[in-house]
Amino acid sequence: MERKTIAFYWKIYRRIMIQDIKSKMSYRADFIISTFGMVATNIAGFISFWILFQNFPSVNGWGYYEMLFLYGFSLISITPVQCLFDNNWSLRINVYSGDFIKYCFRPINLFFYYQSEIFDVKGLGQLFFGIGTLIYAWYKLSLPVTLLAVCKTVVFLTTASLIMISMQNAAAATCFWIQNSFFVLDLAFRFKDYAKYPMTIFSPVFRFIFTFLIPIAFIAYYPSLVILRPGEVPLLSWLSPFIGCLFFWLSYKLWMFGAMNYSGTGS
Amino acid sequence: MKTLNLKKYLTLTRMGIIESLQFRIGTFVMIIGNLLYLTLVYFLWKAIFASSGTDRVNGMTFYDTLVYLVLATALYGFMEMYTVWEIGRNIQSGKIVLDLLKPIKYKSYLFWSYSGELLRNFICVFLPTFLVVCIVTHGAVPLGINLLFFIVSVIMGVIISYNIDYIVGTICLFTESIWGINIMRQVIVLLLSGATIPIAFFPEPFKSAVFFLPFQAVYNTPLMILLDPAPSLQTTGRMLALQLIWCLVMTVVSNLFWRVSLRQITVNGG
Repeated sequence: MERKTIAFYWKIYRRIMIQDIKSKMSYRADFIISTFGMVATNIAGFISFWILFQNFPSVNGWGYYEMLFLYGFSLISITPVQCLFDNNWSLRINVYSGDFIKYCFRPINLFFYYQSEIFDVKGLGQLFFGIGTLIYAWYKLSLPVTLLAVCKTVVFLTTASLIMISMQNAAAATCFWIQNSFFVLDLAFRFKDYAKYPMTIFSPVFRFIFTFLIPIAFIAYYPSLVILRPGEVPLLSWLSPFIGCLFFWLSYKLWMFGAMNYSGTGS
Repeated sequence: MKTLNLKKYLTLTRMGIIESLQFRIGTFVMIIGNLLYLTLVYFLWKAIFASSGTDRVNGMTFYDTLVYLVLATALYGFMEMYTVWEIGRNIQSGKIVLDLLKPIKYKSYLFWSYSGELLRNFICVFLPTFLVVCIVTHGAVPLGINLLFFIVSVIMGVIISYNIDYIVGTICLFTESIWGINIMRQVIVLLLSGATIPIAFFPEPFKSAVFFLPFQAVYNTPLMILLDPAPSLQTTGRMLALQLIWCLVMTVVSNLFWRVSLRQITVNGG
């Protein structure tokens, strides 16, 4: 079988995405309310952040705007998982009901086809909110705006987003073995809340866990050090793009391994 | 006839317990999730208090804040009933028609079906956390008559929380959207009830405004009653009275809203 090119996959992705958005638009009220819900979540998160800093000027040597930078960074880097990989949440239902078998019979990559089916538009609200926060913090910290800095930010954001994606993939893939993976997924999703704090607040044991076992430190903390504190960038920060790719590859393998062992429900 | 009535409800409770015990992995993962969340809370607030330079911020020490937040999380883990999802799903699938035809009010039916889970969560989530907090902090939680008031207050908190859920669930009748409405309810309740940050930390105009809303009566009031180091009958009584008023108001509002909205219902197939 000839290998399909990226252009081919992009074409397919665009077609599926357009269909999905069309079908979402037919439930207009739901779409609008969901977008509001997403914005409300972000505003509430921001308010609790703001309240915290009304009482305390800094946390562990991190000032308000630096924390805001981390916060914005983490919001952007968890957007791709929201927008592009939302179908992971339905995986357990598809596997349980047997509908999953339909994806196995397509002549394209199974993982690609499954994830491309849903494009979650409401995540875009979060993206804009995150970008706004990041730019505001950037401005207030009077960090230099150079082409290099912007390029660095984009590269580190992209690779950082792979961490959250891989955690959701791995968590969703557990349903191939334990049926109801909702709680695992929900647990993995809640890790995003930890990403917005500097890792220095944790004790060494937890810093180790959050760096190497559950790599949430790479969602925002390590990559944003490159921009925030260019004077003292640890090696782990420079490694973060590779770690993002590595974890994504591992989670993809796990997901596919589960899918390949899927035997259907017989219906 | 009275005993027969009660039996009807308790059967639903029993069913709920049996059903919830089916998902043991779920419970296990939930407990791990809560423990991890509590470690975050611990380290975050420790760092915050360490860099503030003073022991006491807004009249709360690090331990006070931690005990408050741990117990608030435990209360949340026990009270969160996912009824909005259930109502929404029932509306979408049309099952709600069958439930409406049952010889029991839908609101009580739903509550009592969830009561089993509530009981299980109380025993599996709240009670262990509470005991651990009592033992570890020895002394931060005064044990006395306030426990009795606390239980009364928690029961009222459950009623208020359920009524908020029910009102939000009723909105689903109009919108047929679940996710967006539910997420909004969740963040509003968590923020304004003091479950994320103790209400004592809120800046002034905000703090006073929050006390005019029903949300703080869900988690904040029970915890204030429990953790008050020098409780007086007067303040406790006032807080309980306020909670009772919210109970009545929310019950009446949710019942009325449901009755009006039911005329609106359209069920596809079912």
